[in-house]
Amino acid sequence: MNLEKVVFGFFIVLALSLNYGFFIGDIDNPIHHHPYELYAAIIVNLIATVLKFGDRTQIGAVHLATSLVADLHLIAAAILYAAISGTAEEAIMINHVVSLSGGALLANFISVVLLIAETISLRR
Amino acid sequence: MNNIIFLILRRMRIPLIAVIVSFGFAVGGLTLMPGIVIDGEVSYLSLFQAFYIISYTATTIGFGEVPHEFSTMQRLWMTFSIYLTVIVWFYAIGKIITLFQDVSLKIAVTTARFARSVDSLSEPFYIICGYGETGSLLVNALDHKNIRVVVIDILQLRINELELEDFQYDIPALCADACLPDILIKAGARHPLCAGVAALTDSDQANLAIAISIKLVNPALMVLGRAENVETASNMASFGTDHIINPYTLFGEYLAMEVHALGTYLLHEWLTGVPERILQSPVCPPIGKWVVCGYGRFGKSVVKNLQREHMTTVIVEANPELTGCKEYILGSGAEARTLEEAGIRDAVGIVAGTDNDINNLSIVITAREINPDLFVVIRKNKRYNDILFEQFRADISMQPSDIIAHACLAHMVSPLLAQFLLLARNQSNKWANQLIAHLVSVVGEQVPETWSVTVDYHSVPAVATLVSQGIAVSIDNLRRDPGNRDIQLDLVPLMVVRENDHILLPDYTFQIKRRDQILFCGRTSAKNALAYVMNDPKTLNYIISGKEIPDSLVWRWISQKLKR
Repeated sequence: MNLEKVVFGFFIVLALSLNYGFFIGDIDNPIHHHPYELYAAIIVNLIATVLKFGDRTQIGAVHLATSLVADLHLIAAAILYAAISGTAEEAIMINHVVSLSGGALLANFISVVLLIAETISLRR
Repeated sequence: MNNIIFLILRRMRIPLIAVIVSFGFAVGGLTLMPGIVIDGEVSYLSLFQAFYIISYTATTIGFGEVPHEFSTMQRLWMTFSIYLTVIVWFYAIGKIITLFQDVSLKIAVTTARFARSVDSLSEPFYIICGYGETGSLLVNALDHKNIRVVVIDILQLRINELELEDFQYDIPALCADACLPDILIKAGARHPLCAGVAALTDSDQANLAIAISIKLVNPALMVLGRAENVETASNMASFGTDHIINPYTLFGEYLAMEVHALGTYLLHEWLTGVPERILQSPVCPPIGKWVVCGYGRFGKSVVKNLQREHMTTVIVEANPELTGCKEYILGSGAEARTLEEAGIRDAVGIVAGTDNDINNLSIVITAREINPDLFVVIRKNKRYNDILFEQFRADISMQPSDIIAHACLAHMVSPLLAQFLLLARNQSNKWANQLIAHLVSVVGEQVPETWSVTVDYHSVPAVATLVSQGIAVSIDNLRRDPGNRDIQLDLVPLMVVRENDHILLPDYTFQIKRRDQILFCGRTSAKNALAYVMNDPKTLNYIISGKEIPDSLVWRWISQKLKR
């Protein structure tokens, strides 16, 4: 067992699960989407991105790309959330925040698929 | 370049993760701390507000407590956060700054930049390994002759020197060990336009390593190897190094040439010199008894060649066992007694050939005091002693770096030049003198340019087209001014190579065929004019027939009608 692989897998899967946790629920109901979950998703995603730095393989490059896509979506969602929270439009704008996190979810999903593919193709 | 980005990313992993984790912890905690009571309700900071506060705190900007005054709990958390985030922040910044000053990163950056500039070379170039005295001379001469070079040297000092020199071309230079095949490949050993490699470092072992790596990496490449020891030379020859240059052997040969064929020697010096430099006329060494001080590599070569010219030699050697000397007079030669013993009074010349400049100077000064008419040959070892040698004014001074540079130039400028010089050695001295007289009358007293031309469609379309149309083109046609065919260009055709025949100094009526190779020597202006003549069919036609061919179809048709 390789500790580096454990940490790597942990953060990638955690990024997906946190992302999913925020995304799930009625898309237009702010009560179903807790800001702390988004916050945790961003932090874990950023850590996952940094962990992927410096891998020269092709699959490593795609890994990094998916993570960057997820970061982009989540940060955009967070900015939007910070701007609308406490205002009258919150009930309407929450749609966009959740759909942005949905985009990130897709990217994180691809990341996990890559992780699985990499593990399966490992011959030793 | 990719490698460098990966290197940076890999090294930044830990500091970046530390920043993310500490920020995340501090921001999250701050939102959980109960704030002051507003309108009967305990206020909390939102995530965004907390992120804002932590951001300006960690970077030590410090805007104060916004949007409201903090409660004691919030202040407690902030105190903790300040120590956590500020320390981590400085750690990350420090890491990043160290990373950019990292030696291995800097080397990676300069190597990548060097490899890119070599890759983008679009003209034939030579790789020069070793930018010492020889290397700098050679690079200078090649740059003058419009030949591109790439330089590798193991000392950064020498690379800095090169960067300060004023060359017409940008010369890619790298401080690295040229013995490493990887470095040679980065310097263009596999580049399709690489014309050859010159291994000119101080160490025979390094030169050997360079030569062998090149022969394995790219066997087609021409390799010039400097070898000062006989063993290295034979080792280099064993795997097919194209040209092995031993400065001591060469000097011996030149000295012999100066004794029996001054003209040939002068021709040699002239054609391989740095263009636009004025050549000094050499003096002919006298025939008689010679005293040779120092029987090292230099002394051996001189003695061998002097004896071949039937001269008596007396050897003065301080360490006869080491040099394997049989008949000798023991001593360094710097004392008058030893020189007297060697018979300096009735000698015609003295050769000071030890590997110590100061000893050599001491020898010749003592010798001249005893016998002022002596012909003095002195070996120069270090270039920084030039001033001393100039003060002394020896008849011939031998500097290994000059000799190697000249020998390399002969091969690099054009393979034809080396062949020509070899053939010229077999000609009589009278022939050489006549040629020099002719060259001086055409080109002047400056070192001329030497270049070769192959007759084919690619390099000289005009000549090739006319020849294939059956129009006779002679050498004489090529030495006419494109503006006025009655004016001759300042150039001399030295040799024509047709298949395996070498025709020295072809007649002006000589008819050119396809695939001929012609070696020219002349002024730069003549070289440019010749290129014009050989590339433009109309100009060449004018020179041959004296008639202008109309450019357009209509005019051609009209002129044909008029002719009838």
